[in-house]
Amino acid sequence: MALLRETYLLLWKDLLLELRRRDSLLTMFFFGTLLLFVFHFSFDPAPEKVAAMAPALLWLAFLFTGTLGLAQLFHSERENHCLDALLLSPLDRGALFLAKSCFNLVLMVVVEIVVIPLFWILFNLSSWNLLPQLFLVTLLGTIGFCVLGTITSAITLRARARELLLPLVLFPLMIPVILATIRCMENVLRTGEFGDAIPWLRLLIGFDVIFLTVGVLIFDWVIES
Amino acid sequence: MAQSSQTKKRKGILGALVLVAGAIGLFWSLVVAPPDAYQGNVQRIMYLHLPSILTAYLSYFLVFVGSALYLWKREKRDDLLAHSAAEIGVLFTALTIIEGSIWGRPTWGVWWTWDARLTLTAILLLIYVGYLMLRSLIEDENRAASAAAVLGIIGFLDIPLIHMSVYWWRTLHQPPSILRPDKVPWENVHPSMLTALAISFAGFLLLYFYLLSLRYRLGEMREEIKARRLERGT
Amino acid sequence: MGAWGFVSLAYGIVWGIILVYLVLLKRRYVNTAAELDALKSKEATRSDAKT
Repeated sequence: MALLRETYLLLWKDLLLELRRRDSLLTMFFFGTLLLFVFHFSFDPAPEKVAAMAPALLWLAFLFTGTLGLAQLFHSERENHCLDALLLSPLDRGALFLAKSCFNLVLMVVVEIVVIPLFWILFNLSSWNLLPQLFLVTLLGTIGFCVLGTITSAITLRARARELLLPLVLFPLMIPVILATIRCMENVLRTGEFGDAIPWLRLLIGFDVIFLTVGVLIFDWVIES
Repeated sequence: MAQSSQTKKRKGILGALVLVAGAIGLFWSLVVAPPDAYQGNVQRIMYLHLPSILTAYLSYFLVFVGSALYLWKREKRDDLLAHSAAEIGVLFTALTIIEGSIWGRPTWGVWWTWDARLTLTAILLLIYVGYLMLRSLIEDENRAASAAAVLGIIGFLDIPLIHMSVYWWRTLHQPPSILRPDKVPWENVHPSMLTALAISFAGFLLLYFYLLSLRYRLGEMREEIKARRLERGT
Repeated sequence: MGAWGFVSLAYGIVWGIILVYLVLLKRRYVNTAAELDALKSKEATRSDAKT
């Protein structure tokens, strides 16, 4: 389908650029790790409590790290009127939305794949067998974040105080995702399986599907020259 | 375009109606309606609280409609509707939170609690304050309108999801409490309580549309000033 | 503070805030209307001067 092909092209362009310079990836990764350190000094939790706090701390770290990525999401389009060129081309704006969302998703997933095990090591957690389920929940939550985040990043593109406005607008909208992911992860860590948290999982998937669709449809009006 | 004298007269009538409904509502809520069986007189705050939040929701629906219409047809008046409705919606949401807090103090002993209703209202406030800030921080008028319209749509679509998640969070693993300001004791409802509620709600609705029409007209005038200045080249 | 104290606090604050908003809104309204009228009369005198 043309939409997917265009998405792939745009995504490949961004990934290629990122592979060459790795600005966003490295800053996000180091920032995420730094936050883990800061959490340790701020909370200094007893070993028994760490497992209970882990989902919340991880998601705080990912929210702030992800916001960093979102702030830079359209940076490559700033130079040489690239954004205007993209808009003039017959590319579907929905493809631009999907590509940018995927790009931020890739960045965040790479960071998460490293930071979650790192968290387990730094805070001496033993439940390594639960990591696959936790990754799944994190992935679903990150999709929701990237989807809403891309829309928010695009509409705040020309705003003053953009770095402050973006989280201000995005975070309240993210509350269902925050609640759902953290409750799911807590349940997994406590009982070893999803069980009672399945409704939360469904909410998360619903959220992702709804805003993915809305994003693709609405992006025409989001980005204007 | 100037306001016709007919429109001005209608607005005057609306304003007068607001005062009348407000007075009757006040009287009915505070005097006629009996005190609640469990909560006593404090429950009377409900006659403010429930209409406030319902009016706020109506407002946000209008933001949604205005935003959607604006993105579709690009007519300035839809954007004006969305902006005005957002501003007044924020006002009523803030009032709801204050009323809820004051109601909570004698009932629960605390000025704030993270129960579902108050939390949801606070989130609503954050979303639409964000909407207003977005508008004020974008220089270009048309871009601001488009950006705000997208946010107006997305914010409204998110509301049911936020509702679900906050209610689940607050009711799962928690025994239901008997006395909650957000739970209307329908078992002991006296008919004059319902009347008080209805009159209050009518009064709030009238007030809302009065404020909305004023705010909308203000926006219209601003647009006209801009258009005239543009024509003259100043 | 008794029950009626809280009730009057709530009603008082609500009416107070609504009044404040009305006053502020009216003020903006009147200023803008004045500005608009000024512009309109300037245009009227301009077109009079032309003819």
